[in-house]
Amino acid sequence: MSLRARTLLLLLLVVLAVAGFYLRSLAKRIFIEPAQHAEEAARAKLSQFALQSKRGPSQTAILYFPSLDGGNLLPENRSLIWAESDVDRVRQVVLALAEGSHQGLSRVLPSSTTVRAVFLSPDGTAYVDLANDVLNEFPSGIQTETLAIYSLVDSITMNIPSVKRVQFLIQGQEVETLDGHADLTAAFDPDPSRINSGP
Amino acid sequence: MPPIHRTPHPRRAGDNAFLAFLRRGLPESRLFPVSLLLLALAALLGPNRQLRSDNFVFYLPASRTLLQLETIEGTKYLPVLPILNTVGKVGGLQEKKDSLRIWFGMVQVELRPDDVKVRLDKDIVNLAQPVRVSNGQWMVPVDFLITVLPRLTHETVEYQEGTNRIFIGDVKPGSFTVRLDPLPSGARLTVQFTDKVTVRTASSNGKWVLFLGDRPIEPVEDAYHFQNPYVNDLEFDDQDGVAKLLLSPTSTGLNFFPVQAEDGKILLADVLKVPAVIAQVASPQATSPPAAPATTSGAPALPGEESPAAPPGPPLPVVVLDAGHGGAETGGRSRDGVWEKDLVAQFVARVRLALLGTNKYRIVLTRTGDVDTSLEQRALAANLAGANYFLSFHAGNLGTASRRIAVFSFHPPTPPASSQPLSPSALAPWARVQEAHLDRSRRLALALQQRLALLSGVEVDLPAGAPVRALRSVDAPAIAIEVGRLAIDTDATALTEPAFQQQVAASVVEALATFEKGGT
Repeated sequence: MSLRARTLLLLLLVVLAVAGFYLRSLAKRIFIEPAQHAEEAARAKLSQFALQSKRGPSQTAILYFPSLDGGNLLPENRSLIWAESDVDRVRQVVLALAEGSHQGLSRVLPSSTTVRAVFLSPDGTAYVDLANDVLNEFPSGIQTETLAIYSLVDSITMNIPSVKRVQFLIQGQEVETLDGHADLTAAFDPDPSRINSGP
Repeated sequence: MPPIHRTPHPRRAGDNAFLAFLRRGLPESRLFPVSLLLLALAALLGPNRQLRSDNFVFYLPASRTLLQLETIEGTKYLPVLPILNTVGKVGGLQEKKDSLRIWFGMVQVELRPDDVKVRLDKDIVNLAQPVRVSNGQWMVPVDFLITVLPRLTHETVEYQEGTNRIFIGDVKPGSFTVRLDPLPSGARLTVQFTDKVTVRTASSNGKWVLFLGDRPIEPVEDAYHFQNPYVNDLEFDDQDGVAKLLLSPTSTGLNFFPVQAEDGKILLADVLKVPAVIAQVASPQATSPPAAPATTSGAPALPGEESPAAPPGPPLPVVVLDAGHGGAETGGRSRDGVWEKDLVAQFVARVRLALLGTNKYRIVLTRTGDVDTSLEQRALAANLAGANYFLSFHAGNLGTASRRIAVFSFHPPTPPASSQPLSPSALAPWARVQEAHLDRSRRLALALQQRLALLSGVEVDLPAGAPVRALRSVDAPAIAIEVGRLAIDTDATALTEPAFQQQVAASVVEALATFEKGGT
């Protein structure tokens, strides 16, 4: 084989190798990655939809954020355009709490919190299924976990009267505790005594 | 890097100076008989160590080793070279008057007499007590085992402060809980093991001995003392490397009927003041013949059969101390690297000692060492021990104050459906057991809060209810104590100070005393 032929053959092999790698990465982008993220993306889109509801007039919701120094919950008014269904309204309240306080109160949930699903049973129990990213940077402790739970429960039940109690799930499963302290195996009734409504 | 022998006459690690003197002063051929003679004399004149001695037991995955403890100025010391030869191999050493260098693996360890600093290559580790040289042996305080040893072996080390045993590497010791219940003419000892145990019984020096097999065991307590007319105490002993329980009756003439149940996980042992024949009928499941305690010359002085040594009286109240988290379940963490699991273990250790100092309580720990114990196991340990009080210790973010304490009683997520609260005597579902004690738990929380509020420099919240999972299934007044601030953006220095921890421990003792008197 002449030198020219050998050079051409070598170039052809290099081109084929590069093309092979490109096709492999292209196939991965098209067929594999979207399948992995489709579920979370759909949930995020749904969550965004719940927050950006344009139907109906804007109303004032009262959200309850923890005060670690006071060991209680403090109210904060928030304008929300309520979604039509109570299930979506529950999702709205959870995501509004995850957005954080506008008045510098303590954070309940990380901003990356994903609400995987919400179910409402006929007896008024709302099942709120959170992704396990809720535990990212969560400040572990009895006080922090208790206030986080009642921040959610009181905010949901006091803004959505059809919800009588809230049961939390993480990644679709009933878990023993939130982060090692607070019992999550049962549904929570609202506890207005934790709210500090004073000046 | 290969170890470097720099001593002009390298010697085998572990030899002591006395033998070295004998080697220098006597021909090698005469050394052996002289050593034998000295050992025989020591065996004849030394104390009786049949059941108890001052040994320290090293439990390793495939072996166990005993090392002699020496107490120097009130501190327990161990010889450093035998320690290192137990867990690995000393590569070489260089001994000078004022220093000892040891090559262990790839690390050079340097010790100096009367110095708390141990140099590991370029790092310095501070011991709680200084290194000593005693009878020619380089001795290190026992805390060397947890501060230095893990850095040399890179193995997990499990050591409960105050005990004479350590578990190194992949050793998973079992444990047990104990309770003693009265019987019409005796008492029943119930020992619940975490794993199956084959118990073999014997009697020695007026005590019943229960050998617990070969498995390493880490007891929650080394000794249980009872105020019972038939049984004085139960001691755990593994000082000769064999795990055993020693049960001391109050008098002679009592009969002992051990029987195992639940596939070896439970030992029921009846101590009865009845003729053996009747006892056998009453206890048909007994597998071992009754063995009256021997009254050898070494036996303790025992009163007559008709008058029990200990006056009948109520048993000591059982306080169960629960150090939250453990093992891989680390809990919260501070900026300077303090884990919640370790911090609360310190508090529990101090509270335990403070309560034991009163001689008024029996203490049960739900976890010993850095092990992951489930919340169900903790409640089970408390309920099996017949807990009178359950105190669970935690740490967390309690706001901006550097020292703040919150005391919690259990608050059920959903209030009980029935308007009538559960009574303590009623049978309750496992998950609702604590609801029968809510009122007393709240009063106990208030009693502790009022004591803690007297401490200066500490903010103390009013007692509150919280859905604390650790309290839910405890069949006794139960509270959780959370100290703060333990958060990732703050150092925990204020919480690790011994004086502060001691103040909290003293407050717990005072609060329990107040509560027992009926006050809050």
